[in-house]
Amino acid sequence: MNKQRTEPTTAGVLKIRASLSRILRTPNSALLLLVVLGVEAGLGLLVIGDLLTAYGQVRQIYAGSMQGLRRIGELQYDAQETRRSTLYALTTEDGNLQVEYADQSREADHRVSEGIAEYLVQARRPRDIEVGKRLANDWSAYLRVRDDVLGLILESSLKEAVHVDLTSGVSLFDRVRRDLEEVNRLYDEQASQQLILVTDTSRRSVLKLIGGFAFALLFGSAAVWAIQRNKMHSEMQLARLQMDFVASVSHELRTPIAAILCAGENVKDGFARAREDLVEQGSIIVDQAEQLAELVDQVLLFAATTAKPRYALGPVQVSEIIAMALRNTAALLEKSGFTVEQQTQQGLPQALGDLSAISRCLQNLIVNAVKYDAGKHRIGVAAKLADSVTHRKEIRISVQDSGPGISSSDLPRIFEPFYRSPRVVAAQIHGTGLGLSIAKSIIEAVGGRLSVVSEAGVGSTFTVHLPVAEEDRHAGAVRSTANLEDLQREGEYTLVDHEQP
Amino acid sequence: MPPMPALLVSLAVILLSELSPPGIVHAAARPPRTRNTPRQALTIIVNKSNPVENLSFAELRKIFLGERSRWPNGHRVIVAMMEPGYAERKTILRDVYRMTETEYRDYFLQGTYTGDIPASPKTLSSPAILRKFVFNAPGAIGYLLASDVDASVRVVRIDGRLPSDVEYKLQIDSD
Repeated sequence: MNKQRTEPTTAGVLKIRASLSRILRTPNSALLLLVVLGVEAGLGLLVIGDLLTAYGQVRQIYAGSMQGLRRIGELQYDAQETRRSTLYALTTEDGNLQVEYADQSREADHRVSEGIAEYLVQARRPRDIEVGKRLANDWSAYLRVRDDVLGLILESSLKEAVHVDLTSGVSLFDRVRRDLEEVNRLYDEQASQQLILVTDTSRRSVLKLIGGFAFALLFGSAAVWAIQRNKMHSEMQLARLQMDFVASVSHELRTPIAAILCAGENVKDGFARAREDLVEQGSIIVDQAEQLAELVDQVLLFAATTAKPRYALGPVQVSEIIAMALRNTAALLEKSGFTVEQQTQQGLPQALGDLSAISRCLQNLIVNAVKYDAGKHRIGVAAKLADSVTHRKEIRISVQDSGPGISSSDLPRIFEPFYRSPRVVAAQIHGTGLGLSIAKSIIEAVGGRLSVVSEAGVGSTFTVHLPVAEEDRHAGAVRSTANLEDLQREGEYTLVDHEQP
Repeated sequence: MPPMPALLVSLAVILLSELSPPGIVHAAARPPRTRNTPRQALTIIVNKSNPVENLSFAELRKIFLGERSRWPNGHRVIVAMMEPGYAERKTILRDVYRMTETEYRDYFLQGTYTGDIPASPKTLSSPAILRKFVFNAPGAIGYLLASDVDASVRVVRIDGRLPSDVEYKLQIDSD
């Protein structure tokens, strides 16, 4: 015990500092990384999608243009072939050759007619449809003349055939040629429009890329700045708390030491010779030494709770917890003239926890109630069964004081280690600012919770929430309504199995 | 027939043949096909645009002899003949022209030279080409075995009879 008391508190403080730094740094960094990765992944997917679209469009344009131009080229060639074969028939008197030329002409004209029909089926724009229909009409008109010319050639009416071709065939075929050129131009026009669309898509992709990277850069910078600022603020706060702690501990140590020194000097210098004086001086020395020991215990306990202690969990009688806490604080309560009003619900089930740890926590709350009493010298201790926030049964043990209450500005910070309200400091109420922090750490380590309700001028009520331990009669094992596995994983404590023979 | 005009006509035919565009095999250069044809009717066909549906045998003979130059629709009459060697041609020469091959050749050489006949018949190398010729030429008339006829041409009655009729005159002898 003496050895534990003499251990330096520096190690504990360093651990706290490291823990705080890790807590402040790790989640924010991970969050930042996730957000930046998420943004970059989203951006990447967006840009890849755009690029794939653009690539698909380019391929479509290329295929469409090539196919269209090739088809138009074939149509132009076959149209020429139709006319050329017809005119070849003029060059011979041989009926066999004339029939062959006629066949060639008709085969070519079938290909042209099919090509025009295909173009009309695929045409979507009004201009394409209009040109396609005009081409079909002109081609039909030319074919009628071509049939006449072929017939005249085969009938050996060459002069008439040439006349018909010159008067009608030439002009009609010229119209067909112009129509085909216009179809070709429309293909080019369509390809150009599609190319503009692709260019727009690519430009949009580039803008998205730049915008996304700019956003990621700005967001990352802002986040790093915020994290650094938060970290610096936390470190400054920690340093201030440590300085306050050192000052407070020094003060707390110096006061009893000064009293002990003073009493010792009184005895040594012979100022206290009578038996009554010696008893008085001895009492002072003992009281101050006890206060000193208590202070050192608090510091050591705080260091121990921040190092994730292992508690032996098991079913505990609530009355036993309260009895132990009151027994350990009986001297203080009696000396300070406090009365304790105790209200314990009948038939309370056993709580799950560590008896000495919970009792220690309750002691801290009782000591605080004594310390911050407003002169009524009354403390209420109550225990009951209630529904937890997760709609499970829980045991609530509350300590109610008659103090001045906690201000709303102090309320969120009272569980912080080393925190002491300016009002308390001004009132010269001694303390280290560790009592509530220790109580909270202990309760949370055993799977419970500590809450507070305070009203100015009325007082404060601190409540310990504990899980209910239920006995499994069939297995004979004791289980908790809380998820013990989770509690074990988080709190690193041991479940003690109290089996009955 | 005087020898000089006949020589000139032959020369003209040779020159026209030489003027044919390259790349096309001259159909007349191919050896004529001979077919083992059983006795069956010879069908007279015309272009589908031709309004004539029936011809008397005498009218048919006049047409084939080149004595009739225009159809009722104004188109010029053009006779399509098979190459020598085909049974169909032999039947036409025997029953319609009533001539031998030599008489037939001399008849048209003389007729075209004197201008009595506006155009000599077109000689075609196969039934398929003959059918296509009739299909392409509105004023064409030709002949085919019934088995070679399709919907691209129209069959003409002779003396009101179709080739399937018993008393149809144009019958090919299986020789």
